[in-house]
Amino acid sequence: MANKKNNAGIVGIGVCLPEKVLTNAELAQIVDTNDEWIQERTGIKERRIADASQAASDLGVIAAQRALENACVSADEIDLIIVATATADMQFPSTACIIQERLGMKNTPAFDVTAGCTGFIYALTIGNQFIANGFYRTVLVIGTEVLSKVTNWTDRETCILLADGAGAVVLRPTTPGCGILSMKIGADGSGGKYLLLPAGGSRMPVTPELIEANQNKLHMDGPEVFKFAMMMLPEVTEQALALANLRKEDIDLIVPHQANIRIIEAAARRLDLSMEKFMVNLDRYGNSSSASIPIAMHEALETGRIKSGDVVVLTGFGAGLTWGSIVMRWI
Amino acid sequence: MSNSSAGIIGVGMYAPEKIMTNADLAGMINTTEEWIESVSGIRERHIAAPSQAASDLGAVAAQRALARAGVSPDEVDLIIVSTVTPDMQFPSTACIIQERLGIKNIPAFDLTAVCSGFVYALTVGAQFISNEFYRTVLVIGTEVVSSVTNWTDRDTSMLIGDGAGAVVLRQAPPGYGVLSAKLGADGSGASFMMTPAGGSRMPVTSEVIEKKMNKMQMNGPEVFKFAMKMLPEVTEQALELANLHTKDLKLIVPHQANRRIIEAAARRMELPMEKFMVNVEKYGNTSSATIPIALFEALETGRIESGDVIALTGFGGGLAWGSVIMRWI
Repeated sequence: MANKKNNAGIVGIGVCLPEKVLTNAELAQIVDTNDEWIQERTGIKERRIADASQAASDLGVIAAQRALENACVSADEIDLIIVATATADMQFPSTACIIQERLGMKNTPAFDVTAGCTGFIYALTIGNQFIANGFYRTVLVIGTEVLSKVTNWTDRETCILLADGAGAVVLRPTTPGCGILSMKIGADGSGGKYLLLPAGGSRMPVTPELIEANQNKLHMDGPEVFKFAMMMLPEVTEQALALANLRKEDIDLIVPHQANIRIIEAAARRLDLSMEKFMVNLDRYGNSSSASIPIAMHEALETGRIKSGDVVVLTGFGAGLTWGSIVMRWI
Repeated sequence: MSNSSAGIIGVGMYAPEKIMTNADLAGMINTTEEWIESVSGIRERHIAAPSQAASDLGAVAAQRALARAGVSPDEVDLIIVSTVTPDMQFPSTACIIQERLGIKNIPAFDLTAVCSGFVYALTVGAQFISNEFYRTVLVIGTEVVSSVTNWTDRDTSMLIGDGAGAVVLRQAPPGYGVLSAKLGADGSGASFMMTPAGGSRMPVTSEVIEKKMNKMQMNGPEVFKFAMKMLPEVTEQALELANLHTKDLKLIVPHQANRRIIEAAARRMELPMEKFMVNVEKYGNTSSATIPIALFEALETGRIESGDVIALTGFGGGLAWGSVIMRWI
């Protein structure tokens, strides 16, 4: 839907990419695979992996600090922190509260949002609500993931895809016609089983036997997720565009969740758009779930692929199943 | 906030069948019935069956809230689930409940703000309504706290309970519904209430399970001190935002952590205990489910009537806190 009152716009962005690079060649030594096979199936050449000591908050706080710096906003101007993560530091407290302390703030409300790989889009949509009605002025939205810690390193279907990283944006009210023009989010729980962590929650509390069986690690039905993503990436993008009264010809750049190059290529065909209209950096960073969109958006800005006045579409899809798309006119 | 406010048009709750009394607990840990009641006000709590996860409790509460509201599941535009004990790390418990309600395509997400989660989720849901972004929002607080309980730790195991509550939000008539909301957090107190292992900080291992590091740990005195101060403080802050005073309140529905916290808050606010809804004696602390469960009982027993000003106030792990002032529709 489109905002009726204020529009929120992104006034700063920052990322944190762990130093350690894991190449396809290195993965080929862990599981039965090879560089060509991974690249052909996924488009991924390498990905970043966090240190064993790093949790979601460690990556998220660096991305947040950089976003604040980029926005020229000081930490004490923040009114709300929303963290999208599927790999929170702990079941509780929230990773958002841990990041709040690390940013040197007190009293600022902070919470985590779980919406799988669409978490960043959901969190942005929520943050926008608070700004749209003037409840808060400055909202910090962070997507941070340490997927390496929920990866089954013996499953070559998933371990080749996953990556760690964080991205953050600062939201502020902006002038009419700028910033977030429309948002569309959705979900379908009947596909929950296609991408999940079976054990470790209240459904199947973790035991040594479940750990042994990797039941507390990520499980994916690849073909089903692929089919869903290929259909949903174009569909929700078009729905959000329609809400903004725009057409796909108006798009300057689509920043999709970086799950797999094949999904993005299929979406480009369905939308009848050239691949140049899509930001892709999964070749270097893999799938970092709710961090992939801010990481890709940051690179698009750094490389001049997004300029003031451009129509930019952020589209996520993933576990839940969930999906969402946000149409913005860049400030 | 803007002129169009969200109001609660239906409340539902669910408590698992199994009741664990203080006597039952006294048989498991070194304590007595009287001691538990004297330090916490709790007499019994409901405990989920091993087969029950957060979504199972939450789906029943949601169905009941929808029935009370006279709203069919396919009218819901958004589901927000507040839980610290989700079925799984992902997908969200909200997505699982969505399917159980027989609906498709509407957005659904989980929110983590621990015992203040329901107040946070209500505040988030209210934004979508006051912006007229959505018409009907379902907010659920559901917890199987027993799944993260260290049953050898007397100080925490005697406090917890399982349960779920849900509310249906729609736009309220002018002057009714949410009048103000105030949220806050202080991560410097994060270590006072946490599950150290099981996330990306300390992934779970056999050793970690052995040491019960994936179970809840609490610094009781620190949490008590915080709660005793924050319950009155944030309630008063929210009242001020609504240009109201404590004397205008018909009822405060606080998070049901411990009767002693509520008594201390009543003294600080110079309000009689009659102004506070208390049902902690029957359900214990069900984290983000306590407020909707207490709200449901307050409505059932006629303690809230149309036009009444009420405060819903949460506080807990994070540390996080929040208070929502409403004029009941």
